[in-house]
Amino acid sequence: MTLNDIEDKLIQGIASITSRDKASVEADMPFHKLGIDSMGFVEVLVFIEKTFNLKLIELDLTKKDFETIHSLASFISRKL
Amino acid sequence: MLSSKSKRYLSGSDWVINTLDYMMKAITSAGNMSQIVLALDSAIDEAALRMRLNNFIKEFPVLQGNVTRDYKLTPYWKIPEKAEADVNLNVYHAEGPASCRDVLSLLGQNANTLFKNNTEHLAFYLIRDKQESFFAMNFDHRLFDARGAEAFLDLFQRCLADDDFSVSGDICFTSSSALTGWMKKFYAGRNVNRKIIALSKSTPEALPLPSGKKKSFRYRLVSFDADETKRIYDNAYNEAGYLMEMPYLLSVVIQTVHELFRGRARTASSYLVPVSIDMRPGKDAVQELFFNHVSYLFFQAQADGTDNLKGLITSVKQQMYEQVKAGFPSDLAEASLLTRIAPLPVLGKLLHLPLKGKMATFVFSYLGKNSQQLPEFMGAGIKNIFHMPRVPVPPGLGFFCNYFNGQLNLVISYLEGLLQNKEINMLEAGLRKRFGAGQV
Repeated sequence: MTLNDIEDKLIQGIASITSRDKASVEADMPFHKLGIDSMGFVEVLVFIEKTFNLKLIELDLTKKDFETIHSLASFISRKL
Repeated sequence: MLSSKSKRYLSGSDWVINTLDYMMKAITSAGNMSQIVLALDSAIDEAALRMRLNNFIKEFPVLQGNVTRDYKLTPYWKIPEKAEADVNLNVYHAEGPASCRDVLSLLGQNANTLFKNNTEHLAFYLIRDKQESFFAMNFDHRLFDARGAEAFLDLFQRCLADDDFSVSGDICFTSSSALTGWMKKFYAGRNVNRKIIALSKSTPEALPLPSGKKKSFRYRLVSFDADETKRIYDNAYNEAGYLMEMPYLLSVVIQTVHELFRGRARTASSYLVPVSIDMRPGKDAVQELFFNHVSYLFFQAQADGTDNLKGLITSVKQQMYEQVKAGFPSDLAEASLLTRIAPLPVLGKLLHLPLKGKMATFVFSYLGKNSQQLPEFMGAGIKNIFHMPRVPVPPGLGFFCNYFNGQLNLVISYLEGLLQNKEINMLEAGLRKRFGAGQV
């Protein structure tokens, strides 16, 4: 799976979780600007596990990993 | 699906909220209500407020509806053609500067005041002294959940701020009697039952309820200034991780409540905490202001593991993750549709069956950032916003956090007689100490 594919899937999932239009979610948007709280964030982590088979809740995630959707896609790409 | 201006079918969550309202009216001084308070930096004009509020409220006939059932047995909210009753606005003038304690006590009285009749679901309060004022909206939880009430006030503010901003409350509500898809509901019910059975293996500790009926709720507002709030959110990041404020705040509250039980020399085995979560699909903002769009996550903490904050946070995060992954909040919402067949007194009794009637140790909610977008209310700056809910009994104890303008607020709401003064002081001191904030 390419980085672009991962990014695309993430945008799709995050748009659905935040009830936003897919076009309004950009890869360089910081997570906290997407209006995501603890609950939304856990939903994103569950989406990642279901889509990429990666259980991120057990890893020590840093702000840097989640700076933007793009950085999260890079993180996932490294773990896959 | 029904599209109607006069009728809106209740969801399962609405029906549970109605049941809690019935139960609370039977055993406390009022129903399942809450209050949002805006602390303002100057006095506001009472006459102008009354006029604007009256005009605004009358746009929304849904505000003066009431619950009934139709021939299909599905309960619904009956909406009148027009909102005719005038706004219930009560004004208090303080002679000199009112102390925070006096204002809170007055707000507490208001939060415990019954509505006048079964079609009144909102009451407003303005408390003024020479320097500042407090504007409070007391609302019926059958009509609004906390986020909906915040958004409703925000809409009013936007109307106040911009004369060209028009809003129509003549809403055509889309709702479903949800009398189809039975297998889906029964499967969801099965999943919810399994969860309740798992939780029932250990009866949660709860404070014994004081004897006597018609008791009111008491409140303690624990406010943190901008520096303290920043420290708390930094702690949340360091201890719980990115965007994990809720598990951090809840874990600290559990630790503090554990200390309370220890102080009473009660040997608790576990604590159980329901946490409300927002389920709005975000499709129609105006419709979604009204009624309940919440479901719940349940967190269990073993008493002997609460001293270890890191371990407690990990457990809370893990439970949150597992419940979201299993789809528990949506299963609960789906399964609760089945409860609508039960009349309120019957469902009230059924809710007491699991967990030996203890239901929970306390309830917790973290609203996060407030929906209020404008910094002013009728020309006065908004200094703070907080919520003062009445809590279902049992457990009669709740902790409610919200964040506004760089400040975290935590309101402790408890049934009169449930806690002694020294215990509520101890809870506040314990929370401040654990959050690394200064003592009052």
